[in-house]
Amino acid sequence: MPPDAARSPTPFEEPRRKSMMPSLPRETIISIVLFAAVWQIMSYLAPSLGIPAFAIPGLGRIAESLMKITPIDVAVTLGRVLLALFVSFIIGIMVAVLMYLSDSVERYLRPMVRILMAVPVVSWILFAVLWFKGVEFRIVFVLVVVCAPVFTVDALDNMREVSRDLKQMIRSFRPTSFQFFYKLMLPAITPGILTSWKITLSLAIRVVTIAELVGAVTGIGHRLSVAQELFSVADVFAWTLVLVVLLFLLEALIVQFETRVLRWRG
Amino acid sequence: MSGASAPIEIAGLRKVFRQTTTGESIVAIDQLTLRIEPGELVAIVGKTGCGKSTLFDLLIGLEHPTAGSITIGAKTPYDDFNDFRGKIATIFQQDRLFPWRSAIDNVKLPLELIGIADDLQQERAMFWLQRLGLANFANAYPRELSGGMRQRVAIARAFAVQPEILLADESFSALDEVTANDLRKTFVDLAREFRSTAILITHQLEEAMSVGDRIVVFGKSATLLADIRMKDWDRSDHAALRSAIQNTLQMNAPDERLKR
Repeated sequence: MPPDAARSPTPFEEPRRKSMMPSLPRETIISIVLFAAVWQIMSYLAPSLGIPAFAIPGLGRIAESLMKITPIDVAVTLGRVLLALFVSFIIGIMVAVLMYLSDSVERYLRPMVRILMAVPVVSWILFAVLWFKGVEFRIVFVLVVVCAPVFTVDALDNMREVSRDLKQMIRSFRPTSFQFFYKLMLPAITPGILTSWKITLSLAIRVVTIAELVGAVTGIGHRLSVAQELFSVADVFAWTLVLVVLLFLLEALIVQFETRVLRWRG
Repeated sequence: MSGASAPIEIAGLRKVFRQTTTGESIVAIDQLTLRIEPGELVAIVGKTGCGKSTLFDLLIGLEHPTAGSITIGAKTPYDDFNDFRGKIATIFQQDRLFPWRSAIDNVKLPLELIGIADDLQQERAMFWLQRLGLANFANAYPRELSGGMRQRVAIARAFAVQPEILLADESFSALDEVTANDLRKTFVDLAREFRSTAILITHQLEEAMSVGDRIVVFGKSATLLADIRMKDWDRSDHAALRSAIQNTLQMNAPDERLKR
């Protein structure tokens, strides 16, 4: 590399973000072990503190619940999340492109998108229950209506931030509209889109659980609902742990993809 | 390659911008008439804000004139925008490389846009990187290259389409003097070799004199203060010429000494 290679960043360079890979440094392991130890001590002490025994089950009981996790429910929830995220992504990007291309469309749609984002998830669940019969459709509807606006707003903001210099440069070579988007806009907004995926993934995991609580007969949310009916804190703990691990694994996949796609950042 | 075949004819060109905040009109170019012959190497020099870059945008076709016209072989770069695909290429002040593309992929960009076959793209991009002395850096990303190297990639990208018209806007002014001189020479040599019509817009008189076959001096609102053919001036007269152009720019009026 030439000596003056270190220089001011180009318009697209952003500060490097910390990897979200689930690495387990010593401090993390220590804090998890400490938490487990405190939890176990609390479960021993609970009866003498007047706390019902079922409220703080021991680690052994939680491990038993973990052994009883049904993979089909995990797969169903994962399937719902991924399907809804892909649908949300496609809708979100299409709306963002329309808003980017037309100021009038943008003026009409922006308030709608903002309103959609302001509606609480519980309201969407109630609307879905009142409007639709199919349980699967209800769940996907709620996920899409919550996640798609996030993709739209993020993609639109990212498109607006694409350097004017680069737009002028590529326009001087007279691209078609498709080439303009495919060669410039898409790669330019890819870092932002990947960040959007990480945000919506976490959002979708939380929303799907709530949506599955209402009417679903499969999925992690349904299992949590059953655990609540049985007063089984161990089961709630176990299923919650599965959700958290699922989220970390999916985020790790996105980070791996991000590392590969954005290797130009160094 | 065939090189440029049609002259650039600028007739009564006027460009007015309206300021969005005050509503005030700004005349960037006022009644400019100029003819640039095919294969000519023209340096346009003028003070900052004299309308040089507006002319650049009009020549690219990204702006429409308020009045008058620019015609190149009976077509205008703004109304017949797509007809000039692959015929006009630009080199800007900053390299404007795509940071997510390697050097060779940046050079390939205009070739992809005009729909050249993949293997030919690779071959031609590599040829131009070799010509610019960057064959060993073909797979380097822009962040791994120095400013001069990145500008070389930008030059390779412009020449890769073998354009009839090359437009350069302050393309060497952001570089150190040694690198700038080197790149100016490369630019001139390549433009002559490939017989492109080249227009270099600059605010640096020395640069204009070292590059142009012809120096066009702009005053306020791109009024034509002087149109100098360098062949009319002996090397021994260059000091007088420089002084006369400087005086012209300072007074915003033609200097008598420039009339030859």
